[in-house]
Amino acid sequence: MLSDTALLFIVLAPGLAALIAGLFQRFIGDRGAMIITTATVGMAGLLSMIQLFQFTFGGDHGASTAHGAEHAVEHAGAHIVHLMTWIDVGHFKADWAIRVDALSIVMMAVITSVSALVHLYSWGYMSEDPHRARFFSYLSLFTFTMLMLVSADNFIQLFFGWEGVGLVSYLLIGFWYTKPAPNDASIKAFVTNRVGDFGLALGIMAVFLVFGSVEFETVLAAVKHNDVVAPLALAAEGPVRDVMMPFLWMNVPALELIGVLLFIGAMGKSAQFFLHVWLPDAMEGPTPVSALIHAATMVTAGVYLVCLVSPIYEYAPNAAAMIALIGAVTAIYAATVGMAQNDIKRVIAYSTCSQLGYMFFAAGVGAYEAAMFHLFTHAFFKALLFLGAGSVIHGSHHEQDMRRMGGLARLMPLTYAAMLIGTVAIIGLGIPHTTFGFSGFFSKDAIIESAFAAGTAGVSFSQFAFWVGILAALLTSFYSWRLIYMTFHGSRAETHDEAGHDDVADGHDGHGHDHHHEPHESPWVMLVPLAFLSIGAMFAGVTFYDPMFHHGDAFWGEVLYRSADNHVIHDIDKLKYKPEYAWVFWAPLFVTIIGFLIATFTYLFNRGVGKRVADSGGPLHSMFANKWFFDEIYNATLIRGARGLGDVFWKTGDKKIIDGLGPDGVSSLVRWGSRRLSAMHTGYLYHYAFVIIGAALIFGAILFWRMGGAG
Amino acid sequence: MDFPILSAVTFLPLAGAVLIMLVRSLAGSTSEDTVDNRVLYCGVVFSIATFLVSLVMLFGFDRDNPAYQMTEQIDWFSEISYKMGVDGLSVSLILLTTFLTPIALIASLGSIQHRLTEYVVAFLILETFMIGVFCALDLILFYVFFEAGLIPMFIIIGVWGGVDRIYASFKFFLYTLLGSLFMLAAIVYMYLSAGSSDVVILENFEFGTGAQTWLWLAFFASFAVKLPMWPVHTWLPDAHVQAPTAGSVILAGVLLKMGGYGLLRFSLPMFPDASELFQPMVFVLSVIAIVYASLVAWRQTDMKKLIAYSSVAHMGFVTLGIFSFTEIGVQGAVFQMLSHGLISGALFLIVGVVYDRMHTREISAYGGLVSRMPIYASLFMLFTMANVGLPGTSGFVGEILTMVGAFQASTWAAAGAALGVIFSAIYMLTLYRRTVFGEITNPDVDVLKDVNFKELVCLVPLAIGTLLFGVMPNLIFDLTRESSLRVLAMMAGG
Repeated sequence: MLSDTALLFIVLAPGLAALIAGLFQRFIGDRGAMIITTATVGMAGLLSMIQLFQFTFGGDHGASTAHGAEHAVEHAGAHIVHLMTWIDVGHFKADWAIRVDALSIVMMAVITSVSALVHLYSWGYMSEDPHRARFFSYLSLFTFTMLMLVSADNFIQLFFGWEGVGLVSYLLIGFWYTKPAPNDASIKAFVTNRVGDFGLALGIMAVFLVFGSVEFETVLAAVKHNDVVAPLALAAEGPVRDVMMPFLWMNVPALELIGVLLFIGAMGKSAQFFLHVWLPDAMEGPTPVSALIHAATMVTAGVYLVCLVSPIYEYAPNAAAMIALIGAVTAIYAATVGMAQNDIKRVIAYSTCSQLGYMFFAAGVGAYEAAMFHLFTHAFFKALLFLGAGSVIHGSHHEQDMRRMGGLARLMPLTYAAMLIGTVAIIGLGIPHTTFGFSGFFSKDAIIESAFAAGTAGVSFSQFAFWVGILAALLTSFYSWRLIYMTFHGSRAETHDEAGHDDVADGHDGHGHDHHHEPHESPWVMLVPLAFLSIGAMFAGVTFYDPMFHHGDAFWGEVLYRSADNHVIHDIDKLKYKPEYAWVFWAPLFVTIIGFLIATFTYLFNRGVGKRVADSGGPLHSMFANKWFFDEIYNATLIRGARGLGDVFWKTGDKKIIDGLGPDGVSSLVRWGSRRLSAMHTGYLYHYAFVIIGAALIFGAILFWRMGGAG
Repeated sequence: MDFPILSAVTFLPLAGAVLIMLVRSLAGSTSEDTVDNRVLYCGVVFSIATFLVSLVMLFGFDRDNPAYQMTEQIDWFSEISYKMGVDGLSVSLILLTTFLTPIALIASLGSIQHRLTEYVVAFLILETFMIGVFCALDLILFYVFFEAGLIPMFIIIGVWGGVDRIYASFKFFLYTLLGSLFMLAAIVYMYLSAGSSDVVILENFEFGTGAQTWLWLAFFASFAVKLPMWPVHTWLPDAHVQAPTAGSVILAGVLLKMGGYGLLRFSLPMFPDASELFQPMVFVLSVIAIVYASLVAWRQTDMKKLIAYSSVAHMGFVTLGIFSFTEIGVQGAVFQMLSHGLISGALFLIVGVVYDRMHTREISAYGGLVSRMPIYASLFMLFTMANVGLPGTSGFVGEILTMVGAFQASTWAAAGAALGVIFSAIYMLTLYRRTVFGEITNPDVDVLKDVNFKELVCLVPLAIGTLLFGVMPNLIFDLTRESSLRVLAMMAGG
């Protein structure tokens, strides 16, 4: 375990670097900003990697030693450094703190290492951008907020990181602020995430209501021990797993409610079905951003959250079932859409969405180890694929349409090699029952096997998830190879013709057509990160399979919690050597090969086939290519509805009704009345006399009647 | 008797106003349209002096003592006395007032071109009345300050406002006066029943349930207009649009807070049963205000109107928190008031910066500001994020705590309010995108200069406050804790 000083450095230094790069860019210049941020994050990356390896192989699980820190608290395997009180009102207490346990060690390693590589890569990728200082400042700020998220010791600091990464994601998607598309995409990302945060915020409120605390240790310990809780107001006292609480019109088990609400937050951040619409559009941001934020780190925050509160889901079977269902649907949905996209980054974006779906259904069926393990390996090979794609885009002068690419393998051999490694890693190439395989093989198969094992135990939606996992693996293999063939194989002239016939008039600048600009290999600052990530894509799986998954108990300790009935991981071992279940372990490899063969026949040997399918415009293809029409449906219903409501409230509600009946109505009434009154001032004496006498009579009558009544 | 520090804070601005008028008339006032910034500097000096005196008051304040402190009492007439005193709640709002007034006056430098003397005098008098409202411990005295504050604001909008300033100022005046008349009737009734208008005595006087209902409604009519709550909010957008920048800053920053202050100081402690009774109604109105105003804000084409509607939505959180009757909710509401004072004040200044250069508030006239005004764009982004309640800014703390408080009373109310969190992102980011991002389409934008020193002097303190209280909100909670608890104790104790 690292010293507290080192921990403080890892988390806070990137924030400080971002501040310096952002505020003092005028004085230190672009280069100064780049050096400060890259060096700082690089140091943090090194430290967190040391921490991860020490923790994994150094045998100091849980029982960590605080180096001379009296204010540090050891708690159930977590090492907490309290920085400062943040909010302290009533019982609502949240600190600024750095909490280190197995989960955050893994996350910190992923975040800082990928971030460091992305910083380095951006030296090349952004070399011509006039706003480099701002870019690097944002990258480091992102790293800081993400680290705050994973090192929170309470829900409120988690929420700080959660919305903080959302902010930086918004700023980076819209980095090229003069263009409309990035601007639209950035707002879409922020608002969609806010919809998720709506759920997360309510979930946190429910947590506080039930547990009277927002601190992880208190909340999770209460669930683990089934403590008696006395919810504030509303709900009745009782053991926490049985407590019911009212929510809107329902009366529901408290843990189920909390589970569902927190998961809604996770759906937004991790782009799960219904709230996934922002992720593909987020590709408008610079590619290094896509690799760091929209592949390796931020989008996995939802998975992290679900794993973090695993005790809650262990006793909220319906919420867990929802996770499994949504995760599985996302996995297959995104894979189908990914097959029909032509923008190289969007293919990878949908692939990310689909892989996140895998992680979620793993967590939903109770295999949190598998989810976290896949999160870990996925970070490397997906960042590799994105940065590889960035290298392609950079080399071919900002061309992103794969139909205008092809034959790049000769021109960019190193990028090609890196992309190949990324591809075999994501499709999960490896031989079952051996230790030969790329990273994705270990983690994805772990998920598929977990789903199957959970299915034999009768966990909800796990059989569905298993079959979806198999099918999505086939599609993954297909679209990944399709990307390779369209980009790197074939001849360039041929593809140009294709694109020419295609009459695609989308917004791309058409740089690629210019024969004066032959595509070229990227500079070394971009290739070095690819090399490092390739190492991760090849070996992260085999190295960490045993500690993180197969014998994960020692690694995760109490952090990833399993109830007494959850035997998913152990069941896999039992099934492993039974001949009747052998097919389960070979099926992923089998479908992967099928996907590879289909892609090879349609996009390598017979390049016209894929295009003909696309041109034929069959309903299935058009549905996939148009992302199942989610954007259109949301626009027609939610956006248009809210806009219409706003107009009605404003023009009818405020102007006609409230002002019409209120001030404007009253003033026109007064004006009307005063006109009538002044009309009465005729100047004729008998008019006045008539009024006076009439009034006297009326008052006299009242007086008379009153006196008579009194008498 | 100790040095009457409260009277000093309250009347120092008034003294300044009188002095300025005297000097001007002795110097033989020149043409009314002469721009003489020295007058404005005098005003700034007096308001800063007031701020310093209020800091002295803060240091003398014992935050662990729930009772009213630094009280002064002089008999006025019959049982009515000039009684001043503060608790944590008033201290925090007084500081907000004395902090914002100098900023508002500095912001006026250069943008107000006529009748400067009267302008400065109006602001200083207004400051006196605003501080008086938060200090008064006698109901009649409170009413005098509360109503008197209307007049300078009415004049500020009516004289230095925009094209439709007359309509706006009359609407503002009518709405607030109408509400106040009900309150006056209630005050008279209370004075007659309790035989005193002393706040402390009234706090301990038990009104019958029936009387409470009517009194509560009468007070509520006035405070709801002030806040403003839906559906009596329509004066606010007009008033803001027509008011000069500094007027908007004070209006949004301080005047709206009088409504929330009144609810906490009078409605809850004096009419606890009625407050309980009307809790559902207030919740409904608050949630409507949040959702309705947010959606309307989204559709605005005028920058100031958008921010005005956003204010309505944000004040919905205040009433939500107050009527949750929980410590978290009430503390959150007080915090939200202070935080909104900083953020909305800053946003109106932000609009003022470009209005001074372009003389239009139409969103469509802008676009691409970031290319010419990068520092401005950064500050605008900060306050945008604060307004959407991003954690780390003060906007977050108030919103989350009021919702946590409301959640304990009604999950419906909390869920409805949480919807506002989504909508606020929509309208603020749309505003930001249309004004700051994008290509420059208007040639006038192309020649704009970034924020100048004067504008930085106004905006930077607000930015620091927004971040400081976002990260260390306990600075405020420690100040307001005892008085919030006291309010709740009086509610529970009847």
